Amino acid sequence: MSSNVAVPQPRDATHAAPVRSAPAAVQTKAHIEVRDVVAAYGEKVAVHGVSVTVADDEHLSLLGPSGCGKSTLLRCIAGLETPVSGEIVIDGEVVFSSARGINLPPEKRRLSMVFQSYAIWPHMTVFENVAYGLRVQRVRGQELRDRVHTALKMVGMEELAQRPATALSGGQQQRVALARAYAPSPKAILLDEPLSNLDARLRSQMRDDLKDLQKRTKLSTIYVTHDQEEAMAMSDRIIVMRQGRIEQEAKPLVIYERPRTRFVADFIGAANVLSGTLVSADPAGPVIRVGSTEMRCAPVAEIPPPTDGGHLIAIRTVYPELLPAGTPGAVNQWPATVASRILLGDIVRYGVEFAGGSLHVQTTPKTLVEQGGEVTLSIPPEHVVLLAG
Amino acid sequence: MSAIAVKRRPLRIGWDVTLQCLALLLLLAIPLALLVTSALNVGDPQQIPAKEFGLDNFARLGIHVDWIRNTLIIASFGTLIATALGVLLAWILYRTTLPGRRIFDILLAIPYPLGPLVGALAWNELGAPSGGLINEAFTALTGLDGPIINTSSMTGIILVMAIFEAPVAVLMIGAAMQRMDPTLEECSSVFGGGRARTAFKVTLPLMLPAILSAALFLFVSMLGAFAIPAILGAGARIQVITTGIYSLFQGYPPDYPAAAALGLLIIGLTASLVWLNSWVLRGRSYVVVSGKNYRPRQIDMGRWTWLLFAFISLYALVSLILPIATLLMFSLQSTSSVSWDVSTWTLGNYRYVIFDFPTTRAAIVNSLLLGVGTGIVGALAATLIAWTVHRSPSRGRKFLEQVAMLPQAFPHIIFAFGFLWTILILPIQGLYGSLIALLIAYVILFIPLGYRSIAGVIVQIDKSLEESARVSGASWSRVMRTVTVPLLRGGLVATWALLFMVSVREVSASVFLSGPDSQVLGPAILNFWDSGGLPRVSALAMVQAVIVLAALLVIRLVTSGETRVAEPAK
Repeated sequence: MSSNVAVPQPRDATHAAPVRSAPAAVQTKAHIEVRDVVAAYGEKVAVHGVSVTVADDEHLSLLGPSGCGKSTLLRCIAGLETPVSGEIVIDGEVVFSSARGINLPPEKRRLSMVFQSYAIWPHMTVFENVAYGLRVQRVRGQELRDRVHTALKMVGMEELAQRPATALSGGQQQRVALARAYAPSPKAILLDEPLSNLDARLRSQMRDDLKDLQKRTKLSTIYVTHDQEEAMAMSDRIIVMRQGRIEQEAKPLVIYERPRTRFVADFIGAANVLSGTLVSADPAGPVIRVGSTEMRCAPVAEIPPPTDGGHLIAIRTVYPELLPAGTPGAVNQWPATVASRILLGDIVRYGVEFAGGSLHVQTTPKTLVEQGGEVTLSIPPEHVVLLAG
Repeated sequence: MSAIAVKRRPLRIGWDVTLQCLALLLLLAIPLALLVTSALNVGDPQQIPAKEFGLDNFARLGIHVDWIRNTLIIASFGTLIATALGVLLAWILYRTTLPGRRIFDILLAIPYPLGPLVGALAWNELGAPSGGLINEAFTALTGLDGPIINTSSMTGIILVMAIFEAPVAVLMIGAAMQRMDPTLEECSSVFGGGRARTAFKVTLPLMLPAILSAALFLFVSMLGAFAIPAILGAGARIQVITTGIYSLFQGYPPDYPAAAALGLLIIGLTASLVWLNSWVLRGRSYVVVSGKNYRPRQIDMGRWTWLLFAFISLYALVSLILPIATLLMFSLQSTSSVSWDVSTWTLGNYRYVIFDFPTTRAAIVNSLLLGVGTGIVGALAATLIAWTVHRSPSRGRKFLEQVAMLPQAFPHIIFAFGFLWTILILPIQGLYGSLIALLIAYVILFIPLGYRSIAGVIVQIDKSLEESARVSGASWSRVMRTVTVPLLRGGLVATWALLFMVSVREVSASVFLSGPDSQVLGPAILNFWDSGGLPRVSALAMVQAVIVLAALLVIRLVTSGETRVAEPAK
């Protein structure tokens, strides 16, 4: 796992966060490069000219709702779909180029893929499944056995090598699929929603195991998922996709802290999105009038143009604080009323009314405020994010 | 790393689809074109292809209007009865708690594969007005004059046809019943719908597409039926279009143009019905085809159960047990009159047809060879087509599927007619009257059947199993060898056995295409029935039945043993 992610600490008032999503930190060299790829199924365009790079050993996630084009993009990289136009380069080799008429079939691209359905061949044993890619590379004899066993050991399945693939549970099939992907030392591993067929409990365990596996092996991975938690946990960088286009591309925490658009703010985590009018256009501290209050926002590189309903701001539900009523008014502090309270166990969700409108706020049950209680609502300006639309 | 690869692959040019479509269309278009030219031929009737054209041959069909009328009457009433039987039997089998349903399920699956010859011969032996076993037994027991039953009549033909075609309707309607979500009915009862309301407002509308589809299939099949009217209609001189074509063809001098015109008439009818079928299904079938199999809600019929049990037993009796027992009885007789004295029974007829008589011996060997060959070639061709339709990225895949279904519109006897002429104009020596010619004709005629059989297996195989192998570095041929074919093995064997079976029992295309050096079972039984005497023809029919049953057993073992479903475990 690369350690180059400089994590801005939440609540650190001195932290001047990067305002626009920064490109991934230190890029050694582009290991996989996708340039202006357009992909379509018949008349329907699934990917609209997307460009993506993945560095050596980088773990990239393609995140988005179903139908956003993330799987199509992955399948284009694998060679399972043929883009309409664009170029794909893997490890310095052009595997697809519409301009030059190059289209390497999947078997010549030296990648591995983990499918949503696992695609474990039911007519083979666990061993044969994992050995498949190695046999294709003409690995034989002791080396074959060693490498299969190393791969199986890596996922804790070495005991089950001789088992027919049909005698495996869902989680075991998942592990075999991973071992099969890692065994032939591919140039990169593509994962297409690998955890979505598992039940919730197994999923979070497999997620941790997979993360651990990524740390131990130096391999570029592209991970396609619709689950924001998986994307956050698994990747060095996330690309959020929407309707075949890239919505935002940044490190996980930046995606969380600085969603670029309303779509990203809604799709990742829980956020309040309010609209208002711009009062101060100072990029170091823009101010937005929301309702009858003025709210100071986090610094931006440049003020985005307003949308139809004015400027939009996003406030993560975990960041507003509910202070005792009458707290001396500082920046972004207003008197407010708790209109509703829902206890969900680990978290408490409040509906708070203030002069700027109503907000959802999440806290822990450590300090509880009664429904109808008067409080002071405090929203640190660095957590008020001006959106681009 | 290697230098930039410049392997060029054409993008989305469907050469695979194009080639297959062209091949199939050519194989159908040439015989059809020859039929058309012959039907329009007003010059020398023996001229192939024709030189002078006109519509006179169609005008001449007027004198054969009784053949057309008989065909329509038989097909209409036969379809009505067979569909009604199908609905009732499917309902009893899948929707009630009848005891012994599993056994009936197996028994009902047998009569259709046995083929029309077995049913026609057996019921002729049972129900002929003079000499029929039932009529003789009646006279012997009561002393009254018969006949009480006459299968050599329009009614006889209709009933025998309906009885032997009904299992197809059971299969089609039963499949739809198993694909219907039972909660749709449960929901109706929860909202207060009684049994009758649920049946008529929910179940029947949902089943209607399948019922209509089954009825159309039966109708088309009965329009082209040959063996049953040929045998049962002979005594009473009842001719239908197919037997009419045969007699025009065999007559002296043969009237090819009139036969071709009749053939076109029936092709036009069946083609529009096949089209109608797909049109009817297009809008409606989604309601029931959920792809998933449910366990239908089964109703305890209380005291009605035994009536239903009696009904289904009676059906098994007349469709399977009685015909087979009759053929077996006759095949063991030493003379043509039936003797109940077991000591006079003999296996001599079997020895005669299997070993002693060269024609039938050759017919058995040839039919087995053809069955094996048709199975192999047909299963491979069907697999190639089905794989292309379901896996190729090329455009026009759906069109290929439709083209592969086209042979359905050709009644066997008429396709064989056109195919025979194709052989005659082809500059290839020795094809006429050869086993190769039969093999090609069988493969074309059975492509739709083979396609449906193997496509059903291919769609069950998760596409990512193959994609995964591709990404692992396996070439197309390696993917085929190590993943696709092994996963399809069960389906391939079942498809092979299915094609083997339908080849062995084929009659109506074979009567045109088999020659002195290419005798096969179907025509041999038909000719033998004219000349060889009932015991020997029964023995020959039993041989055919045993071969078919063996193939059926293989299919059953393969499809039930192969429960290893190529899908990810949940």
